[in-house]
Amino acid sequence: MKKKIGIIGLGNPLRHDDGIGLVLLRYLQEHKKKLSRTIELIDGGTSGMNLLYILEKYETIILIDAVDFKGIPGEIKKFSVDEIKSQKIPILLSTHETDFLTVFSLATQLGKTPTDLEIFGIQPKNISPGIGLSPELQKVLRLLQNQILNEIQMKSGP
Amino acid sequence: MSKDFSVHVEHITRVEGHGNIILDVKNGKIEKLQWSVVEAPRFFEAMLRGQHYNELRPITSRICGICSIGHSLASLKATEDALGVKITNQTATLRRLAIHAENMQSHILHIGYLAAPDLFGAGSVFSMLGKHTDTVLKIVKLHRLANEMSDLICGRTVHPIRLIVGGFSLHPTEKQLLQLKKRLIEAQELTHELAPIILSVADNLPSFSRETEYIGLTSDEEYALYDGNIASTDTGRHPKHRDYKEIMQEYLVPHSTAKYAKHARDSYMVGALARFNLNSRQLHPVAKDIASLFKLKAINYNPYMNTIAQLVEFSHSIQDSIDLIDVLVDQNIKQEKPVKPAKKAGRGVGIVEVPRGILVHDYTLNSQGYCTKANCIIPTNQNHGNIQKDMEKLVPEIINRPEKEIELTLEMLVRAYDPCISCSTHYLDVSFK
Repeated sequence: MKKKIGIIGLGNPLRHDDGIGLVLLRYLQEHKKKLSRTIELIDGGTSGMNLLYILEKYETIILIDAVDFKGIPGEIKKFSVDEIKSQKIPILLSTHETDFLTVFSLATQLGKTPTDLEIFGIQPKNISPGIGLSPELQKVLRLLQNQILNEIQMKSGP
Repeated sequence: MSKDFSVHVEHITRVEGHGNIILDVKNGKIEKLQWSVVEAPRFFEAMLRGQHYNELRPITSRICGICSIGHSLASLKATEDALGVKITNQTATLRRLAIHAENMQSHILHIGYLAAPDLFGAGSVFSMLGKHTDTVLKIVKLHRLANEMSDLICGRTVHPIRLIVGGFSLHPTEKQLLQLKKRLIEAQELTHELAPIILSVADNLPSFSRETEYIGLTSDEEYALYDGNIASTDTGRHPKHRDYKEIMQEYLVPHSTAKYAKHARDSYMVGALARFNLNSRQLHPVAKDIASLFKLKAINYNPYMNTIAQLVEFSHSIQDSIDLIDVLVDQNIKQEKPVKPAKKAGRGVGIVEVPRGILVHDYTLNSQGYCTKANCIIPTNQNHGNIQKDMEKLVPEIINRPEKEIELTLEMLVRAYDPCISCSTHYLDVSFK
């Protein structure tokens, strides 16, 4: 039987703000008691095609990732798969040129997609090589953490 | 026939990172032929300097989403070499299982998702669905198993967490290992069903040959992946692992942001075909059967056969994993505490074989256990020079063919090496004048 909700942090912490999805995932892990028991938290890193086998396990999936949607650094925006497709926003999984839509399309063709999938994109400032978030994201990190926690609590219920 | 044409492939598809092929031909003569890597360098070594030894493994596991287990193991071996840590036999056996899991994950990804579309005349794995759905499903099943094996041994399918200095933070149980063994036996059967399907399209692999040097680990005990001595098909075994720079002589070229490497010749090759050419006698018989099916014999000088060598290794990794599980079960696998360092400071070198070839991590730690110097030699770096030399021999042989065919043949050559270009762009301390 499929589990209920999978929350996947994506990104590379060796590329500054590209690691924001993992930073926020770690915050959720530290506050797991405040989240519904139906939630599983997954560090997807730069796992590329491996995401195929995560997509098939859950009814609902939330991806948290750095997404360049030309917003203000630190801004969060929610996207559906269709919005990502129509706006041609790249969510690169960093491995072998695998982007999220490629994996999602393959999962769809194999009939193994979740019924509900949402992407929480955070606008990065700096994704050049290096460890640690940019000052711009550091400044709003607490807000981001609270916002993500609230959003996920609303989505999943108690 | 004299003709003018250009092949400029920017950003080759189905490889990791950005690499370009530039070919200019005028009056039937090659004016320019270049394999160039243009991606910005990534400074891994700089990220390691100043970090405590317990942080080196987690950081390096993020270098790559494909070779994260391999980077972890090279990092641990370097740290343990520096700190005088002697791991237990159980840890060594579990680490061998971990490296097989990664080899299987990466090889089936390359064979199935990246190389197969060329062989089946499809643009991508999506185009294979429909006519070849059954083959895609076999590939998906094998890839899923390799992922779950990584998860069981390393605690994650990618970016492992259970691999730590001196051992493991958590061990799989006997019951879990026996369940895995059952699935590996099924996977071996599936691999032997997949092999004839790949064979049926293997004529689409170009028949090209260029003598070169092959470098990898070798061992008297096993088909070397986790441990062994550096060896070359030209110069034999090199017993001193800390002197790896005598073999892997890295250098810079103006048209590339990645380092190149050479040893006895202008270039050398690392990876599955190199390992096969060095150590094929030690493959498990079921893997040798697949090699025979494709008439793959050492020494094979066709780089396009690297994909077939990966399939052979995939079968070997399954079978050796079954044997290693038997050892762990016979010896009553138990939770062990990690071995503590015998000293705080020192230099250590860790060398392992990862899917794309031999990988080196070299650390110097100070008396507080912090890293003061680091060097990583990535497999793809070592192959760039060989790709260039292959192209220089290949293009004159195919120059009269249609341009599209020349382009595809060159792209397939690069893809055969399964390069991880992003990982390879990592040089440091370079001054531009």
